[in-house]
Amino acid sequence: MSVTHEEVLRIARLAELDVDEATLPVLTEQMSRILEFVAQIGDVPASESAKPFVPGPDAVRFRADEVKPWPLAFGPDKLAPAFRGGFFLVPKLGQFEEEGQ
Amino acid sequence: MTAGGGWETVIGLETHVQLRTASKMFCGCSAAFGAAPNTNVCPVCLGLPGALPVPNEQALKLAVRAALALGCTLHPKSVFARKNYFYPDLPKGYQISQFEQPLATDGTLSYLSPDRGLTTATIVRLHVEEDAGKSLHDRFPKQTAIDLNRCGVPLIEIVTGPDFRSPQEARRYLQTLKQVLEYAGISDCDMEKGSLRVDANVSVRRAGAAALGTKTEVKNINSFAYVEKALSVERDRQIALLEGGGTVAQQTLLYDSKTSSVRPQRSKEESHDYRYFPDPDLPPLVLTEEFIAEQQAQLPELPAKKRERFMAQYALSVNDADVLTGDRAVADYYEAVVRAGADTKLAANWVINEVLGDAKTHQERLRVPAGALAQLIGLVRGGTLSQQAAKRVFAEVAERGGEPRNVAEALGVVQVADSGVVAGWVSEVLGAHPQEVMRYKSGETKLLPFFVGQVMKVSRGKADPKLAQKILEEKLAA
Amino acid sequence: MSDPGEALANAKAAADRIVKAKRLNACLTPPKELRQSLQKQAQAAHPSGVLYGMPVAVKDNICTLDFTTTCGSQILAGYRSPYDATAVAKLKAAGALIAGKTNCDEFGMGSSTEHSAYGRAVHPFDKTRVPGGSSGGSAALVAAGAVPAGLGSETGGSVRQPASFCGIVGIKPTYGRVSRYGLVAFGSSLDQIGVFGRSVHDAARVLSVISGRDPRDSTCEARDPLRLPTVPESLQGFVVGIPKEYFPPDLDAAVRRACDRAIRVLKELGAAVREVSLPHTPYAVPTYYIIAPAEASSNLARYDGARYGPRFDGALDVRALYRATRGTGFGPEVRRRILVGTYVLSAGYYDAYYRRAQQMRALIAQDFRNVFDRGVDLLFTPTTPTPAFKAGEKLADPVAMYLSDIFVVTANLAGLPAMSLPIGRIKGLPIGGQLIGQAFLEDEMIEAAYALERMVPGTEDA
Repeated sequence: MSVTHEEVLRIARLAELDVDEATLPVLTEQMSRILEFVAQIGDVPASESAKPFVPGPDAVRFRADEVKPWPLAFGPDKLAPAFRGGFFLVPKLGQFEEEGQ
Repeated sequence: MTAGGGWETVIGLETHVQLRTASKMFCGCSAAFGAAPNTNVCPVCLGLPGALPVPNEQALKLAVRAALALGCTLHPKSVFARKNYFYPDLPKGYQISQFEQPLATDGTLSYLSPDRGLTTATIVRLHVEEDAGKSLHDRFPKQTAIDLNRCGVPLIEIVTGPDFRSPQEARRYLQTLKQVLEYAGISDCDMEKGSLRVDANVSVRRAGAAALGTKTEVKNINSFAYVEKALSVERDRQIALLEGGGTVAQQTLLYDSKTSSVRPQRSKEESHDYRYFPDPDLPPLVLTEEFIAEQQAQLPELPAKKRERFMAQYALSVNDADVLTGDRAVADYYEAVVRAGADTKLAANWVINEVLGDAKTHQERLRVPAGALAQLIGLVRGGTLSQQAAKRVFAEVAERGGEPRNVAEALGVVQVADSGVVAGWVSEVLGAHPQEVMRYKSGETKLLPFFVGQVMKVSRGKADPKLAQKILEEKLAA
Repeated sequence: MSDPGEALANAKAAADRIVKAKRLNACLTPPKELRQSLQKQAQAAHPSGVLYGMPVAVKDNICTLDFTTTCGSQILAGYRSPYDATAVAKLKAAGALIAGKTNCDEFGMGSSTEHSAYGRAVHPFDKTRVPGGSSGGSAALVAAGAVPAGLGSETGGSVRQPASFCGIVGIKPTYGRVSRYGLVAFGSSLDQIGVFGRSVHDAARVLSVISGRDPRDSTCEARDPLRLPTVPESLQGFVVGIPKEYFPPDLDAAVRRACDRAIRVLKELGAAVREVSLPHTPYAVPTYYIIAPAEASSNLARYDGARYGPRFDGALDVRALYRATRGTGFGPEVRRRILVGTYVLSAGYYDAYYRRAQQMRALIAQDFRNVFDRGVDLLFTPTTPTPAFKAGEKLADPVAMYLSDIFVVTANLAGLPAMSLPIGRIKGLPIGGQLIGQAFLEDEMIEAAYALERMVPGTEDA
């Protein structure tokens, strides 16, 4: 199952990753290789199936509704690359439209 | 304005409702509104490396109650799924929601359509998810400010089928939905505070057509009034487009309340491939029969049933019952007033007019205690206070408290219903107006109100007007 | 040890050894910070803790209040976590010392620690070779004798494989045995913190301390911490399965000899040994390389330069910020996996890839259940198809690197406990043998490992 350059670029956009034009051909080849490799699971007939398996507990446990946040040794202001007046800052959305929320 | 011209409007609504919990959906931070920005945060809702979600029991209880209140089929096993997309106020780069296996499906909600009478909306699904943070675009120049306090607050998403045939219907459904959810204590449903948000899908088709037209999504509707306006605007836009020979493009539009128009949201490229998959950080949500039964037991009498009961039990008209059951607090208050001994009809009038009127200007508070109102109503019924006087006493009790009887005396508005005393005033008045007495006796019975007025004047408003009238009639007949 | 003076001396000695081993590029913590912290920790440690004074190196994808947490990536360069992972908090509560953060493949993605943004880690016995990955740094430090134990993490064998390459013990617990709170997520349904030790005992007792319930991790089972077994006299009563798919005809002859020797020892110890089959084994690596990247593509979406970590500035709008930060901050292997993961989850491909892979995973888990249900207690296999390979050898073709995980990923897919212990040397390079146990029966697996360790000449050429 090979992928085309266009598909790689489309996937990269979905994943918010810059792909530089120079590396695109190699990347496309590597992705094709990987996808061909993993596609071999298709060799197992679809009739073969087992009870769905997810490791871990069978059912989620609930937490009591109490205001007891997990500890933070220091606040967002110390973590953030840009912070002002109590807010995280990012460059203005150019390609987004605000939703007034 | 209706569609007319052979067009039918088809509207579906997606409502997001914040659940009334103390803490967030997946972490122990406070879910309260209004805190200083980025103060109700922790590793989980900040989306820090290594943090993991742990679901809030109360959120699930409220979600199940909401599903039951809406007559949904509850799925004892449901699955949390990740909805993946990038946005500044979504710290993990995904929202924990539900997709293929939601909590509940196939519910209904009856509401009074202005066009079609009592109608049923279908609830296609109800699922649990977490809220995102807030992006503020105008706070700093060239920057977007992000506040993650709201990130992780529990939400339920309620999706209807394409059930509504007019913007007015859609609004009425929403009001009914809000009422039911408030009754069940699920949420404040406050559109201004954002605890109820709605997105709409709108399409039009020729009346009688079987197929649905292309639908658009309308967002950024921030009040019940705007629901109606926004949907009307979009419907009209689509009709105009189609009548002009164009086609409706499937897109997302934002409502602008300032210009009363919709404009396309500049497309978030590929924004609709959310790549949902079951969240591997959360085992399946399994509800036991006991858990579900407990939530069912916690549901109060819902509005429609309460209205029916009020009509039957208190002999109220459908309109009066509707107003009294509009808000659960008001319904409970009315019943408390009746329980305290007030006449049901009088109580209804007082609550609907005075109490609710006062509440409107005082942050919706029911300022006069139920027992006090019952006493007040009793005083009017017994003739101790005139209606006017009672209103004065009401206002006083609302403002400064106190027992109505005492307040009435302090205000000096207690009516005299002692026939002897009133008879005295009547005699005084009759004595002072012999001409009018003669005119009355010769047939000008329309002078009766004049005499009553004089008795009121001479008694400085204290005479019970009905008693005065009765005694006047007796004396004048003699 | 219960003497603070002794603890301080130990801490200093550990710091010295770690700094001396800097040619391994295993420890990412600068020497000065390491020394100062170890001293402070030794002074503050609980003397009554069962691990009092024990220096434990911690893989850099596990959050610690002390030191930075970079996950071997530029995108978290200089990042300081405002909380300790639960496993780290438990270590500290037991009096252990966090002896620096160790080098790893970026975000755990790799099998050689060559995909670190901070340079490759080096094999302790042969500097031209890799120590394995992704937990190569912790493995190298333990193997070099700098620390008695280290924490690593597994998604697809990243503790057992380096343990095999470096000649030490590496244990991966049952999924849900150890809390993942604070383990930076890569493949959430596969990830577990694992332990390295120079002996089964050292690794097992650290595992015991970090295991147990944690209300902060919904996938962590509500169990008491692991109880350690005693060293058994024999393995009478144990039934050990030898899955034939792990001994293919083209298995390296020296690896086979080492395994055969270990199997002989198991028999000599009284275990019943029988051949079994895990028929879906050939599909394990492809299945893993669908599920893990898919989950990773979602788990790594949070790294965007907006709220923490470095920001690649000059971006004109926030989309550009994301793309630049992620394009530059992630290395090539991480980018490839994010892209593969995004692809297999995307519309039109989800059913054929992701959904199908989950079904394969169920078949693989069922293979194990079928075998264990028929009276087998444990499985024994080689850990890796070869000893440590040379640096650069597997970089040209990503799939070549993936195939080195062939014997280890099944246990991650099935959520089972598994461990590697040294069973010999091949031309001087260590090689490990693997035990795979039943869910939450680590004690049986460790019991067998104790016995095997005593009798197998782990440092002898096979």
